[in-house]
Amino acid sequence: MEKILLAKSTLEGHDRGMRTVAQAARDAGMEVIIVRFDTPDEVVKAAEQEDVDIIGISASIGGHDYILSEIVNGLREKKLEHITVIAGGVIPPYDIPDLLNRGVAKVFGPGTSLDEIVTYIRKLDKAKAA
Amino acid sequence: MEAEIRNVASGYFEKPKRVRTVSHLPLKALYTPKDVEGFNYELDIADAGKFPYTRGIYPTMYRGRLWTRRVGWGYGTPKDTNQQLKFLLREGNTALTIFPDLELVEGIDPDHPLAKGEVGRVGVAYYSIEDMEEMMEGIPMDKVSMTLLGATCAAPVIFSLYLAVAKSRGIDFSKLRGTTANDPLHSYHCRSKEANPIDLALKTAVDVIEFSTRHVNLWNPISVNSYDMRDLGISAPQEVAFGLAMATAYVRGVLERGLEVDEFAPRLSFYCNAGTEIFEEVAKLRAMRRMWAKIMRYKFKARNEASLKFRFATHTSGSSLTQREPLNNIVRIAYQQLVAVLGGAQSANSCTFLEALSVPTELSQRLALRTQQVLAYETNVPNVVDPLGGSYYVEWLTDKIVEEVMALIQKIDGMTFIGAMKSGWLRKEIEKSAWKQRKDLDSGDRIKVGVNKYVTDEKLEMRLHKTDPGVEKVAVQRVKEFRAKRNNQKTTKALREMKEVAETFRDKWPDSPELMPAIIEAVRADATLGEMMGVMRQTFGFRYNY
Repeated sequence: MEKILLAKSTLEGHDRGMRTVAQAARDAGMEVIIVRFDTPDEVVKAAEQEDVDIIGISASIGGHDYILSEIVNGLREKKLEHITVIAGGVIPPYDIPDLLNRGVAKVFGPGTSLDEIVTYIRKLDKAKAA
Repeated sequence: MEAEIRNVASGYFEKPKRVRTVSHLPLKALYTPKDVEGFNYELDIADAGKFPYTRGIYPTMYRGRLWTRRVGWGYGTPKDTNQQLKFLLREGNTALTIFPDLELVEGIDPDHPLAKGEVGRVGVAYYSIEDMEEMMEGIPMDKVSMTLLGATCAAPVIFSLYLAVAKSRGIDFSKLRGTTANDPLHSYHCRSKEANPIDLALKTAVDVIEFSTRHVNLWNPISVNSYDMRDLGISAPQEVAFGLAMATAYVRGVLERGLEVDEFAPRLSFYCNAGTEIFEEVAKLRAMRRMWAKIMRYKFKARNEASLKFRFATHTSGSSLTQREPLNNIVRIAYQQLVAVLGGAQSANSCTFLEALSVPTELSQRLALRTQQVLAYETNVPNVVDPLGGSYYVEWLTDKIVEEVMALIQKIDGMTFIGAMKSGWLRKEIEKSAWKQRKDLDSGDRIKVGVNKYVTDEKLEMRLHKTDPGVEKVAVQRVKEFRAKRNNQKTTKALREMKEVAETFRDKWPDSPELMPAIIEAVRADATLGEMMGVMRQTFGFRYNY
């Protein structure tokens, strides 16, 4: 069963998207943990503790590049590269190539269907198994 | 080719799939006099300017005064923002709104570890009297109406920064016009619950209202924000119910402090969502006006007519805008501004078509303003009050929304709004509605052009705003220099005094002195926002360092 950590900075309140993704994932039988973090290293710690498969970061304010690169690097340092990092929220398309370069697996922009996200996570899970 | 031709044929005979509002209110195809039979014009609708103000709070509405064109901006440094504000004034804004950045509203300085990556990104980073002075350079504070956004527990500090600069310019507080957003209860749900603990939130909000009522009489010390909640996914009736209920929580708080309702109620104001479903939105605003008037008269026994008037600003719905085919947003925003004007808003803010992509550019801001200006000068809509009044449909829908809202308000009254927040009831209702909206979208029941219908790969070829990473460096450098060069003895003394007042505030409320005067003095003694908020957090038992 897929275990997902969805996280958002405590500075930011726009969690409608994240909560609907959480609901959809739970409906699809996945285990979802929601975390509000002060600093990105808390996300890495929580992901390690909870032994999740995927970290989903919701960022609609602006610090997405900093937060995501900190998390990807943090996972790398702890040898936790088996955890996939995805992102969603209001992220300008021109920032996406850089994020992907830095190690974010996929960015789901506004308007993405929940089906698409759930399917992606399922496929990822299968790929990791075999 | 065959499939497209087949589509055209079926499109020609197409019927709308959904025959209800986005809030799930059922709609008939036609409304007739039968649907408004028994409606009492004098008691429930009335002329504009007459209780219960369903048709508008003033008799002449826009003939007497066009709504305020108040497109908001702010990002980067105070100097950058000063330029943006002047740009907007030159392009036709008749007042100003400032967007603060995240650190500011959550009450930390730019050199706080949590601030990393965020400074000046989505709003302007200002945290000292020096910053506010720079931001207001060349702007006549006694002539321009200023909305200071930042509805969180930081509102008293934000307001104090503005007042302190006015004072140093020799401007009497009685000359200042504007609004402090000041709605930390809504911020608990819509911003950050960590930085807006409920009990502290109510008290700081009340303190701002009280201070302003006594000392800044032309100012609106609160803008009860139903806008953000609506964007969280709630329905139109819920927006009315939660917005009004939230307002009553503040009214009760101020009454507890010993003020008479007619002393402060005339300056209460609201911030509402202007959504895309034109008629439901207009009916919603009419319903809100009618119900507020009745709540103030019958529940709070207000007698001054000014206390009964639902004064509000609108903001076009951000969550309705799309990242795909962003130019379509121009059309959405135009319809939403029409809603604001048909609905009788006193002031109109706006998103730009780039909302789902990035922070606005000059081009997108100018367009947002022009959208309002075309509406104001080319459509002739402003010339007649409440033009939709008397429509069988709109009067029926207004009444229907009132009915739905009554049921909700009765439920909330049983818990009190604060109780509804603390028990988690409100959060659950918001999530239920948000989920419903999501399912409607995914099932195709709610259509979003460019997103789930007529989807293309069109990419917008346009220069977008890119955050300058230098802004954060500059802000961090400045705050360090500011702290180093000020008279630290003076600052520490003022912060200590503020702490004493805050402690009395905490322990003896509602029989305690106002908090704001001590904050203003701390600002004038060069305390930074993070330091002042830190004193508040420390006093009220939250972590000093956020």
